[in-house]
Amino acid sequence: MDQIFATLLSAPVLFFGLGILAAAARSDLSIPESFAKGLSIYLMAAIGLKGGIEVAKAGFSSELALALLAGLLLSASIPFLVAPALRSFGRLSGIDVGAVAAHYGSVSVVTFVTANQVYADSGFIVAGFMVAVLALMETPAIISGLFIARRGSQTNDKGFSAELMREVAFNGSVVLLMGGFVVGMIIGEDGFAPIAPLFRDIFTGVLCIFLLDMGLVAMRRLRDTKALSARLVVLGIVFPILNGLIGVVAGTLIGLDAASTAGLAILAASASYIAVPAAMRMALPQANAGLYLSMSLGVTFPFNIILGIPLFRFLSEIAAGLIGGV
Amino acid sequence: MPENMVTRVRLEVLVDAPLAPKLVQLSKQAGITGHTLMRTVSGEGRGGAWSEDLVSGATSKLIFLAVANEERSNAFIRLVKPLLDSHGLLILRSPVDVVRPERF
Repeated sequence: MDQIFATLLSAPVLFFGLGILAAAARSDLSIPESFAKGLSIYLMAAIGLKGGIEVAKAGFSSELALALLAGLLLSASIPFLVAPALRSFGRLSGIDVGAVAAHYGSVSVVTFVTANQVYADSGFIVAGFMVAVLALMETPAIISGLFIARRGSQTNDKGFSAELMREVAFNGSVVLLMGGFVVGMIIGEDGFAPIAPLFRDIFTGVLCIFLLDMGLVAMRRLRDTKALSARLVVLGIVFPILNGLIGVVAGTLIGLDAASTAGLAILAASASYIAVPAAMRMALPQANAGLYLSMSLGVTFPFNIILGIPLFRFLSEIAAGLIGGV
Repeated sequence: MPENMVTRVRLEVLVDAPLAPKLVQLSKQAGITGHTLMRTVSGEGRGGAWSEDLVSGATSKLIFLAVANEERSNAFIRLVKPLLDSHGLLILRSPVDVVRPERF
C-alpha cells in the first residue's frame, strides 16, 4: 500500500494527473506540439544513453541475452493472445483486431521511462540493459499485428511494403533508443560526465512536463473519441494486467532481479502510441485510428502510469520472494 | 483576367501524415510535377475531433496542394478516388489563375 501511495504522490505521476484534470475541466492549457516532440526526443535519447552506460559498466551477461529473448517472444506473441478477446468480447472486425493487437504487443517508451524513474527514486533499480529490451520490443508486434489483420480480412495484400519495413526498422524511437544506447556504451561513465547535467540532472523535471502533456492528450483523446465502447475500455484495463502478469512470470523464470522483472512486466503491459500508430496508419489505412489510439493512449497508458507501476512492482517482489523461498 | 494568366486546376487533399507519401506517389504517376505539403492544427469530422500530433504523428493531418492542367488533375482524381474512404481523404478541386502556365 505504501508503494501505491509513493507512486501516486511522485512528481511525474502528479503532473500526469494534473494534465488529466486540466483536460477534464476543459482548461485551455496546452503544450506546443513541437515542444512536446522535442521533449520526447530528449527522453528517448536520455534513457538510451543511461542504459548503454549501465551495460558498459556491467558488461554483457546471459541475463541480458535471456531478457532480450523474452522481450522478443513477448512482443511477437502478445498480439496473438489479445486478438481473440478483441474479436469476440470487443466485437472488432479483422483489420481492427490486427491493428489494436499490434499496439498491445509493442511498448510504450514513456510508461517504461516513468516506471524506471519512479522505481529508481525508491532504490528499486531496473537493470540498464532493459533499454535494449525496450527497443527490441517495439517492432515484432507490428509484424504479428499485420499477420492477424491480413488473416482476418482475407485479402491477398500482405501489407509488408519496403516503405513499411523501413518505417518499422528505422522509426525515430528505435533509432534514438538504440543509438543512445550504443553511444552510452562507447562513452561509458567518464564520457557521460560532461553531458550529465543535460541528460541526468534535469531528467525528472523534463519527464514531469512531458507527462503533463500526456495527461492532457490522453484525457482529450478519451473525451473526443467516438470509437470506444465500454467493452473496449474493459479490455484496455484487462490487457495490461494479464500481459504484465505474463511479464512477471517470464522475468522471474529467466532469473531477472525483482526490479528488472517489474521493468519487463511494464513493457509487456504497456501499449505503443508512438511507433505503432504511424506504422499501422501506413500499413492498414482502413483500420480505425481513433480506436487503437483511444485504447492505448486514453485507457491503457493512464492505467499503467497510475496503477500498473506499483502493481507490477508488488507482483514482481512477491514472485521473487516465492522463488527465493523455494 | 490580367495578361499572361491562364486557368488551371488547384487540387487540395486533406490526408493523414503517414499516408502523404502515397498521395505524392500518385500525383507523380498522374504527371503532376510539383506539390506542397502543409501542416494543419486541428479539426473535426465524421470520425471525431483531431489535432496536430507530432509525438506519434499518426493522426496529424496535412494538406497536399498542387496545381495542374485539366488532363493531369483528372488523372490524379481517378487514381485517388478508390482511396477516398479507406484512407479517409477529403479532396477539393477548384479553378485557379496562374502565370507561367507552361509550368503546370
